[in-house]
Formats: sequence, C-alpha cells, structure tokens
Amino acid sequence: MFAVENLHKSFSDKKVLQGCSFSIPDKEIRVLIGRNGVGKSTLLKIITGILYPDSGDVLLNQRSLLRDPTEKRRVGYVPQSSALFPHLTIRDNVAYALRNGRGKEEEIDTILAHLDLHEYEHAYPYQLSGGYRARVALGRALFSNPAIMLLDEPLTEVDHAKKTEMLPEFKKILQELSIPVLYITHDPREAALIGTSYMAMDANGVTQVNSAEEAFSFIQ
Amino acid sequence: MHKKPSTIEILFIPAFFLLILYPICAILFHLTPEGIVTTISDPLFWSSFKNTLITAFGAAILATLLALGFGYYHMFNRDSIMYRIADLFNDLPIALPHTVAGLALLLAFGRKAFGFAGSTGLAFTVLAVTLAMFFVSYPLAARTIASSVDEIDREIIDVARTLGDSEGKAYVRIVLPLLGESLISSMVLCFSRSLSEFAAVIMFGGNVPGMTQVLASYVFTKVEEGQIDAAVSASAFCILLSIMLVIILRILTRRRHVRGRKPA
Repeated sequence: MFAVENLHKSFSDKKVLQGCSFSIPDKEIRVLIGRNGVGKSTLLKIITGILYPDSGDVLLNQRSLLRDPTEKRRVGYVPQSSALFPHLTIRDNVAYALRNGRGKEEEIDTILAHLDLHEYEHAYPYQLSGGYRARVALGRALFSNPAIMLLDEPLTEVDHAKKTEMLPEFKKILQELSIPVLYITHDPREAALIGTSYMAMDANGVTQVNSAEEAFSFIQ
Repeated sequence: MHKKPSTIEILFIPAFFLLILYPICAILFHLTPEGIVTTISDPLFWSSFKNTLITAFGAAILATLLALGFGYYHMFNRDSIMYRIADLFNDLPIALPHTVAGLALLLAFGRKAFGFAGSTGLAFTVLAVTLAMFFVSYPLAARTIASSVDEIDREIIDVARTLGDSEGKAYVRIVLPLLGESLISSMVLCFSRSLSEFAAVIMFGGNVPGMTQVLASYVFTKVEEGQIDAAVSASAFCILLSIMLVIILRILTRRRHVRGRKPA
C-alpha cells in the first residue's frame, strides 16, 4: 500500500500542493488526471525524492519514504520524455539498475522479449520511434524491481492507433507487478484503457472518482 | 540578384580590415627568410615552444578537471554558498589585470608561503607557468562545462537517481559521458587561452630562457633584444598555431551543435 498524507509544497509564494492525500493499494493502476500546472509533476518529484515537501508524508507499506534519498526509495519512474540515456544501447538502458545491484542479469532478456525490444537491444535511443522509447523507459523501470511505479504521460510521443495497441500490453505488465502504480495522462481514452481506478487533481487537492470520464468532467 | 549592402556593412568592412586583419597581416608581411632561419635554428625558440605545449596542456587539463567540480555544483547544488562563491569568482580572473593575477600567485605560492618547496617557492618554475596559465584559463573551462551541463535533460539524471545512482554516480555515469566533446572544447579553449597568456606567466613563472620561457615571452625577449626578424618569425608561428586551434574549436563546436544532446 502506497499513501500520500497531507502533502504541502510551495515555491516562493505559489502554493502548488495544499494538503494532498490519497492512497493506492497494491495491484492497482491509479490514473491521475489534472490540468497543466496543478502540481502533478511536483507530486511525482516529491514521491521520487527529487523535491522535498514543506510538510506531509509519503508512505510505502506504512513506512515514511521522506528520510530516504531518491536512490534508496525503489521508485520506478517513467517520465514523459522517456529520458533514455542517449550514450547507452537499449540493452544497457534497460539493465542500468544492475550497476547499483538492482535487478537480475538473467531478467534482462525476459524484459526485452516481453516488451518486444530484442530486435533493438544494440540500437541507441535516437534510432527508436517514440513508442519503442516508451517501451524501453518502462522496461528500464521494471528491471529495477520497484516497490511503486510512477508513469508521467509515458505515451505522449505515441500516436492514437499505436497507443490503443500498446495500452492493454502495458496494463498487463503493470498488473503483473502487483505493486501500486500511479499513471498520469491527459488522454481520456488512454486513461480508460490503462486505469483500474481514477482520481482528479485540482487546486484543492485530489479527489477519487469512479471513472476516467468522471475525472475529466471533474477538472473541466 | 545581389542585395545592396547596408551602411553598417560598409562601415564594418574597413574597420575590421584595419583593426583586426591588418595587424595580423603586418606580422606576415614582415617575415624574412633570415628571420625564419634564425628562429628555427634557435634552440631557445624550440625550448620555449616545448614549454608552451607542456604548460598550456597541463593548464588545460587542470582547468577542465576543476571545471568538472564546478559542473557538479552547477548541476546538483546551485543553492549552496560554495556554488555562489565559485560562480562569482569564475568571472574574476577575466576582469582582473593579469599582472595582478601573477602577483597574487607569486604571493600565494612564492618564497614566503611555499619556501619549503624551494628557494623561490613554486615561483619561476614550469609548474608556476602552468599555474599562471591555469588561473587565467579556468573561467573559460568552468563556463564551457556549466553551459554544457545546462544542455543535459535534467530528467535523465532524475531517472538515474531512481535507478539507484547517488548524485556522484549519476554525474560520473551519465553527465560525464554526455559532456564528451565539451570536455575537448574546454581543453582546446584553455590551451588557446594559455598560449596567449603573458603577464601572469612573466610575473609568477618568470622568463628564464630554456627553463620557464614560453612562446609569448620569447617574442617579448626578442623584441627587447632588437631582434625584430626573429620576433616576427616566432609571432607568425604563434599565429599559425592559434589559427589551427581556432579551427579545431570551430569544428568541435559545430559538431556539438549538429548532434545536440537533449533527447527528442
């Protein structure tokens, strides 16, 4: 179980998060929907440990993560830009966590095969399409054996047709992890296809809703 | 159809030719075969050339290494007092008269403070020449590395951190490989700057022929001795060396711009 409790964060005079609270049980893919600038990225940066909150807590299995530096949190992070390491091959990108004692060498091939990346394992990120870059970013996060997954609009670079093809596959992979997943998107179709639960975020915080449509109408 | 040149273009051409190209050409026009022969047969010229290469290369390496330290602060610790001080002092050696820089080094590493290292401290040695060149060229290295660090997508570093890298590991494993050609650009820039340094080198390193004399001080000595032909030949050699460095730098900079380093 992952939980965020009463999170506050301000930048100078601008209050970005004001008492943000929610929890995500294991095996759940929670889709977070909110307008630009509402604080979604700030929330993710606090969970990863890149930013520190002014107050509040981030809990994983009832243990606070705030005392741990980013590298100790076991957070799998797939950003919007994929953020692949441009100087490393696809195989080395996926297996990056191995350098820090995470993941198992024998799992590299399984993940590459699972994400249909074997053909490109010796290629470099600039040689891949947006869809394949998103696969690599997901594979890299999966390989690190995370305790929670954060995906920040991971399929922005992918067209609608390709998304429709990829999302059920992504959903299956994420559900097999049996960990809490937080997935941010601006695309209602993507939200409906990937999510198992939904919440909407506005200036007042987050509100859990029953469907992707309800989340999008909430933020209108 | 040719477009009509503007007044600014018309004014720029004679000003540029008179003030920039003409002085360079003046050196080349005054080259004489005797001067060239005298210079290339002078062992002190070759020892000053050797000293210049060794010290400028040493200064370029030192400056780039220290600049990498600054790059680390620039990437991870911009709010720290150390970063603010270092950032401020990056510009100081540029604004400071280089005689003052030389005197500062002399007082800091000379006989009084570093007497244990020799009768003149570190002063008037090849190391002193290297340090003088390093002192004036480091800001260029720091600026080059900092601007290259700015070009790296911060999210790449954040991801590396979530995969278990500490800031230091992410800097070594991700930032340094991505700096790549910027490191070479920094070295070439520092080398070029070191090649042209005179005042700080003379003040701290001295101008001992065959020992601490470099090309810049060799030219100065020849002018002082009235051997203008030899001074002109050595200067022409310096111009050739500088043009080569500038061309290398241009090629490196162009390659960096063409490739770009932010992921799509």
